[in-house]
Amino acid sequence: MSGFGGFLLRRAVGAVVTLLAISVIVYVVFYVTPGNVAQITCGPRCSPEQVHQVAEQLKLGDPLYLRYWHFLQGLFVGQDFSTGTSVEHCAAPCLGQSYQTDQQVLDIILTKLPVSVSLVLGAMVLWLLLGIGTGVLSAWRRGRVSERVLTAVTLAGTATPVFVIGLVLMIVVCGELQLLPFPQYVNFSDDPEQWAWNLLLPWFSLALIEAAAFARLTRAAMLETLAEDHIRTFRAYGVAERSVVGRHALRGALAPVIALNANNVGSAVGGAVLTETLFGLPGIGQELVHAVKVVDLPVVVGMVLVTGFFVVLANAVADVLYAVADRRVVLA
Amino acid sequence: MSEALAVVETAGTGTPVPAVSGARQFWRRLRAQRAALVAAAVVALLVLVALAAPLLTALEGQDPTTYHPTLIDSARGGVPIGSFGGVSADHWLGVEPQTGRDMFARLVYGARVSLGVALAATVVQIAIGVTVGVAAALGNRWVDQLLSRATDIIVSMPLMIMSLALLAIVPASFPRPVLVTLVIGLIAWGSIAKIVRAQTLSLKGLDYVSAARLSGWGTWRIARRELLPGLAAPVITYAALLVPANISVEAALSFLGVGVKPPTPSWGQMLTAADVWYQAAPQYLLLPAGALFVTVLALTVLGDGVRTALDPRAASRLRVGTGRKDTTGTENATGKTPENAADGAARGAAGSANEKEASA
Amino acid sequence: MRQPSVIARRVAAASVSLVVAAGAAACGPEDNDAKGSGGDSTPHKGGTLTVLNSQPQSDFDPARLYTSGGGNVPSLVFRTLTTRNRENGAAGTKVVPDLATDTGRPNKDATVWTYTLKKGLKYEDGSPITSADIKYGIERSFAPELSGGAPYLRDWLVGAADYQGPYKDKKGLSAIETPDSRTIVFHLNKPEGEFPYLATQTQFTPVPRSKDTGTKYESHPVSSGPYKVVKNENDGEHLVLERNTQWSAATDEERKAYPDRIDVRSGLDSSVINQRLSASQGADAAAVTTDTNLGPAELAKVTGDKQLAARVGTGHFGYTDYLAFNPKVKPFDNPKVRQAVAYAIDRSSVVNAAGGSALAEPATTFLPNQKSFGYTPYDPFPAGKSGNPAKAKELLKQAGYSGGLTITLTHSNSKDFETSPEIATAVQDALKKAGIAVKLQGLEDNDYRDKIHSVKTEPGLFLAHWGADWPSGGPFLAPIFDGRQIVKDGANFNTGQLNDKSVNDEIDAINKLTDLDAAAQRWGALDKKIGDEALVVPLFHPVYKRLYGKDVKNIVISDWTGVLDISQVSVK
Repeated sequence: MSGFGGFLLRRAVGAVVTLLAISVIVYVVFYVTPGNVAQITCGPRCSPEQVHQVAEQLKLGDPLYLRYWHFLQGLFVGQDFSTGTSVEHCAAPCLGQSYQTDQQVLDIILTKLPVSVSLVLGAMVLWLLLGIGTGVLSAWRRGRVSERVLTAVTLAGTATPVFVIGLVLMIVVCGELQLLPFPQYVNFSDDPEQWAWNLLLPWFSLALIEAAAFARLTRAAMLETLAEDHIRTFRAYGVAERSVVGRHALRGALAPVIALNANNVGSAVGGAVLTETLFGLPGIGQELVHAVKVVDLPVVVGMVLVTGFFVVLANAVADVLYAVADRRVVLA
Repeated sequence: MSEALAVVETAGTGTPVPAVSGARQFWRRLRAQRAALVAAAVVALLVLVALAAPLLTALEGQDPTTYHPTLIDSARGGVPIGSFGGVSADHWLGVEPQTGRDMFARLVYGARVSLGVALAATVVQIAIGVTVGVAAALGNRWVDQLLSRATDIIVSMPLMIMSLALLAIVPASFPRPVLVTLVIGLIAWGSIAKIVRAQTLSLKGLDYVSAARLSGWGTWRIARRELLPGLAAPVITYAALLVPANISVEAALSFLGVGVKPPTPSWGQMLTAADVWYQAAPQYLLLPAGALFVTVLALTVLGDGVRTALDPRAASRLRVGTGRKDTTGTENATGKTPENAADGAARGAAGSANEKEASA
Repeated sequence: MRQPSVIARRVAAASVSLVVAAGAAACGPEDNDAKGSGGDSTPHKGGTLTVLNSQPQSDFDPARLYTSGGGNVPSLVFRTLTTRNRENGAAGTKVVPDLATDTGRPNKDATVWTYTLKKGLKYEDGSPITSADIKYGIERSFAPELSGGAPYLRDWLVGAADYQGPYKDKKGLSAIETPDSRTIVFHLNKPEGEFPYLATQTQFTPVPRSKDTGTKYESHPVSSGPYKVVKNENDGEHLVLERNTQWSAATDEERKAYPDRIDVRSGLDSSVINQRLSASQGADAAAVTTDTNLGPAELAKVTGDKQLAARVGTGHFGYTDYLAFNPKVKPFDNPKVRQAVAYAIDRSSVVNAAGGSALAEPATTFLPNQKSFGYTPYDPFPAGKSGNPAKAKELLKQAGYSGGLTITLTHSNSKDFETSPEIATAVQDALKKAGIAVKLQGLEDNDYRDKIHSVKTEPGLFLAHWGADWPSGGPFLAPIFDGRQIVKDGANFNTGQLNDKSVNDEIDAINKLTDLDAAAQRWGALDKKIGDEALVVPLFHPVYKRLYGKDVKNIVISDWTGVLDISQVSVK
C-alpha cells in the first residue's frame, strides 16, 4: 500500500506544479492579447477618464507580476471585493472575480461544471458502447457488411465537425420528426428524466465524434490478443467463438480502452466547446470561449485550471485502472 | 526493424533511407492490401487535385473568388437559382449561396488549404513530439523531468482556448494558413511525445541498443541509428490519426472565427458557413462534408495499411493469426506496452484524445 | 451607440456585442387588428411567454444597460421618466411620458428640464417611487463599478465629467435637483432639445437607495414596471418574470403586459432559436426572440413556406453600415480617391453578403431612411445598383492613379456580423472592376475595435456601422462628425476626423431646438452637406426579420427598435 500512497503523493505534487505552470502561461498569454479590458468592461462609448476609473477599479494598471501575486494570494488566503455598497470576502481558494460580470469565478465554475460533467459522462457511455461494439464486431467479423457499415458510421462521425452533425440531427430529430425536444439544459436534481431527454442529442453528437477512436483501438487490441497463443489454445480446445471473442479477447483489449477513455473524459470536461455552443448548454467550454473573447482573465485562468485539473485527475485514474486491468504494469 | 526507415523519412525526422531490402519488403506488404492501395490512390488523387487546382478551375473556366450576383435570388437570402444549387455547364457543382461563387473552384482550392494545413501541422507535431519524446527518454533525470512536465502542461491545457488566444496575438500581416498550421502543430504535440518517450524507453532496454551503448556510441548516434527506426511504426500509425484530426481542428477554428481568412476557401470554412443552409441549399453543405469524409476515410485506411506493412507481427498475422486473411490491416499505437513505462504508455494509449477535444 | 448584431447567427460565444436587447415599440391592440395570428386575434391576459435569446440578460442593472429607448426585456421591469411610443412603424418613434406626467418642460434655451412624477407610483414592495430615487439611480450609473451606459449624462449634466458615483462621492450630483418627492430638475451645460429622448434610457429608472446592493443589484433589481424578477440564474442566462401586483395599468399607458409570466432563456445558438421558433412546438408556440434575426439561409426556407412566412415580423431600426475613410492616411487624403471608391462600390453584392434584398436595403445616405431622423434622399456619387467602374477609373486618373491602385480594407474576423470578412470580400470583389486592388486586413474583434477607434492606429479604410441611441439625427451625426468629439486618447468615433466649424455650429444650433420635427429637417440637410465630403461610403441599412411562435398575438414593431415589443405581446 505504501507504493500506492507514494504514487498518489507524487501525482499530487506533479499536478500542483503543472497547474501552477499553466496559470503562469495563461497570465502571460492573456497579458499580451490585444483588447482593452477596461474599455470592454466599461462599454464602447466610455470616455478616457471613465475607462481609467474602471481600470483602477479592476487593478489593471498593476504590472504583470503583481497581478499574478494577487491571484496567488486569493488562491491561498482569499480576497476582498467591493460591491460598491459593501465589501464581500472571497474565501480561499479564491479564483478571483470576473472583470465583466462581477461574479466570483468559483461560483461561475460551480454553476457550469454540472452541465459539462453531465454532457461528458452521458456521452462517454454512448461512445464506449458504440466504439467498443464497433471495434469488437470489426475484429470478429472482418469484411462483413455489418462491420463495414458500422466502421463507416464511426468514421463519418470523426470526419464531420460536431456543429454539422449536431445541427442536422437537431433539424431532423427535433424539428421535422419532433421525436425529441430541442435540447435545453435541465438540472439532474430537478428532473432526472427531462435531464436525460434533453441531453440525448448532445450526448449522441459528442459520442459520434469520439467513437471512431475507440472502435479502432478496440479492434487493434482485439486482433493483437486474438493472435496470442492462449487464444489459439482456447480455439484448439473447441471453446465457442463467441466466448473466445467476448470473454477472453475483449478482456485483453480493455486496458488501452480504459486509458483512452479516462483521457478523453478529462479533456472533454472543458473541451466540448462546440457541442456546448451549438446546443446552448451553459457549460465550461462555452463560458471559456466567451471569456477569452472579452479578455476576462480571472475567468479564463480559473476555468483553464479546472479543465487542467480534470485532465490531470483523469490521467491518474487512467494509470490506476490500467495497472488493475493489466497486472504487468507497475505504478511508478 | 530496419524496414521502417523508409517511411520515417516521410514522417519528417530526416533519417536517410537505409537498407533497400527493408523498403522493398514494406512496399510488398503494402501492395498485398487491396483496401490500402485504393486508399492510397484516393489520397494521391486528392493531393493531385489540390496541387492542380488552378488547372482544373481553368478547365472549368471559373475561379474561386469571383461573384456571380445574377445566379442567386437576392430576395430569398441569396439562394442559388436553378436545381442542385445552380449546377450548369459553366458551374459544374453549382454556386455558393449569397455570393454566387463557383462551388467546384472553391472545393478544389479548399482542398489545398485543408490538406496543406493538416499535413503540415502533422509534420510539426511529429517533429516536436519525436524530438521531445526521444530526448526525455534518453536524457538524464532532470531533462526527463523537465520535458515530461512540459508535455503534461501541454496535454492539460484546453487546445481550443489557447488557439483562440494565440491567433489573436500574432499580427494580422502574418500569413494565416501558416499561422493556423503552426498553432495546431505547436499546441498538440503532447500525446505523440508521450508515446515516443514510452516506446523509446522500452527500446532502450533491448539488447541491440544496449550493445550499441556498450560499444561507446554517443546518445545522438544511438537515437538516430537505432531508435528512430523502432519508433516508426507507432509514429506513423499515430500520424494517420493526426491528419484527419487536424482537418477537424481547422474546421473547428473556422467555426470559432479564427481559421484561414476569406476569400481563401477551406473545407472547414465552407462547412461552417454551410451548416445553416442544410435545408435551403443542401448541396452547399454536402459537398465539403463529402470531401472531408472521403479524405478522412482514405487517410485512415491508408494509415492502417502502412501500419500493417511496417509491423512484422501484424504482417505475419496476414498469414497465420486468426486463420483469416487480414484485408484491412491493423493498427495499434499501444499494442506493446513497455513494462517500465506505465505512465507514458497509459497515456500514449490515449491516442488522438487531445486532438479530438478540439473538434468536440 | 447600440450595436445589435445584424446577421448575428452564432451566439454569445461568437459575437461580443456590448449591447443590450433592443427596445420595442408598439401600438395598442386597436391599431393592428390585421396583424394577429389565428382566428381570434384579440389579445387576452394570461399564459407564459417564452423568450429564446442568444445573449444573456447579464448586467440586468438599470445603471449598466445600454439601450435604445429602455430596452425590450428591461422595459418590463424598469420604468423611466419618458419612454418610446409603443406603436407600429413611424408612430413608434415618438417619445411619450412614462413615470412623468409629460415628456419634460424645458426652460427657454433648453438647458434646464423639469419633470413631475405621476401620482400613486409604487415599487414591487409597495413603497412609493420618489424623484430622489430617480436622482440616485442616475448617480449610481456614474460609479466605475456599474459602468456600461451611454455617455450622454456625463457629457450633458453640469459638473458630471469627473463624478464617480454615490459610493465614492457622498455629496451627489448638484446638477439634479429634487425640490419635492414628485419633482426632478436637470441642469445641462448646453442646450439639448432632445433631452426627452435621453430620459427613455434605463439610467432614468428609480432605484431605492436602501435596496441598492451595488454590483449585486442586478440579480434582483427592484421593479417599477409590470413584472418583477422571481428568478435570475447564471447571471441572466435564465430569467423568470412574474406580474408585479403593485404596478397599476392606470399609471402606464404604454405597457400592455398580457402574459402572467415571462420566461427568458438565453445562451442559445441563433440557428437553434430560429429552428425552435419555426417548429413552434410545446412552450415554443408561445415564444418570441428579442435578439435573433432570421439569417439568409433561414429566410430562404421561410419564404417558401406560407405558414412560416406569416409568422415573421419585419422591422427597421435606425442603423447604417458603411465604409469609413481616415483622410489622414494616404491615398485617402485625396478626395478624388474617396469619391472613386464611392463610385465603384457594388451595393447589390454587399447587400447579398448581408443577407440579400430582404434583409438589407442599399444606402446612399448616412442617416437611416426614416422620417424621424430627418431622412433627406441624396446620392452624391451615384454608383447605381452595381457600381460605376468607368467613373471611378476616371477619377483615379485625375488623382494620378491611372495605372490602378492598391489599398487595404480593415475588417473584423468575427463572422456573421456587419464588419465581417464576408462583407469585406464583397467590397473587394466590387472594387476590382474599377482597377482598385483591395488587400483585406482581418483583425480579431477586440483588436479591430481598438484600432479603428484610436486616432493613433486608425486604418485608412475600414468597415464600420452606427446605430441610433434614439430615432433622431442628433445621436447619429454628432458623435461621428462633430469635431469637438474627436477623442485623442481614448475611444474616438469621429473616424473621418472632421473638424469643420460650420458643421459644429450647425450641430449646436439644432441642439437648441425643442421642436423635434424642425430639428429633424435640419439634421437631414446637415447629413446631405457632410455626404458631399465623401468621408464615408454608406453601404446598407439592415432590415430585421424575426420569427415568432404560433400562439403569439399582438405583434407591434416600431421604427424606433425595429423588433416586436415584448410589452405588447399576448399568448392567449
